[in-house]
Amino acid sequence: MKWLIKASIVAALSLGVFGAAPAVADGFKNCTKIAKASWKPASEAEAAAKAAGYEVRKSKVEGSCYEVYGVKGGKLFELFYSPEDMSLKHTKAK
Amino acid sequence: MVEVWDLPLRIFHWALAASVLIAWFSANLLDTVHEIAGYTVIVLIAFRIVSGFTGTRYARFRSFVRPLPVVLRYLGQIACGRTGRYLGLNPAGGAMSVVFLVLLAVSTISGWMQITERFFGVDWVERLHTWSSNLVLILVVVHVLGVLLMCALQKENLVRAMITGRKRARDE
Repeated sequence: MKWLIKASIVAALSLGVFGAAPAVADGFKNCTKIAKASWKPASEAEAAAKAAGYEVRKSKVEGSCYEVYGVKGGKLFELFYSPEDMSLKHTKAK
Repeated sequence: MVEVWDLPLRIFHWALAASVLIAWFSANLLDTVHEIAGYTVIVLIAFRIVSGFTGTRYARFRSFVRPLPVVLRYLGQIACGRTGRYLGLNPAGGAMSVVFLVLLAVSTISGWMQITERFFGVDWVERLHTWSSNLVLILVVVHVLGVLLMCALQKENLVRAMITGRKRARDE
């Protein structure tokens, strides 16, 4: 019986930790609510990053964002652009 | 009872298990945690490789690394329930250890490369990290199932042995 109580406490703590993780996480995913068919092309996000002075390595779709991998001043960044209006929603320094 | 797994090896084993799990769950979610877990794994596997050459008897590669035909034959024997009794790693466990170390090295090094300027955003590095890390996770499942199977076939608690270090002495 005692092991069941211990196991339940561990399970509850684990759920608590993993549940809280998104609140402190940096997995950025939400940039727009419009449908994918209406999205501007990813090349425009790369162009925006380039215009802002970044060396663009690649880009990909992350949730409802375009995530651009950029290098500036020897530092590494992940840039999150909205596919709706190409506004920069979030910058993550690596 | 006889001591099979020395204390540094046991600490290494459980620290590696914890680090791999932490790295797995923090991937793409908590970057700093993920990176620290990865660096920890690099240090741990470096330690294990050194102890594979200089450690106690059952920790040394020489005592458990066997040629592939021997491993395959042993797997066939397990399928017939003939496990033999190895105090240290049996040939299957030995093969798993080697594959684990190689995959962990590929995963951690490719992950580290991803945050260097030279390899940041480079596709083949990213793919290599994803593939090797997924294979590590599959191997973890195989490892756990394999240990549980051997516990049942040999009727001994191998998990407790990796905590206390001790096993029943060799059958006479």
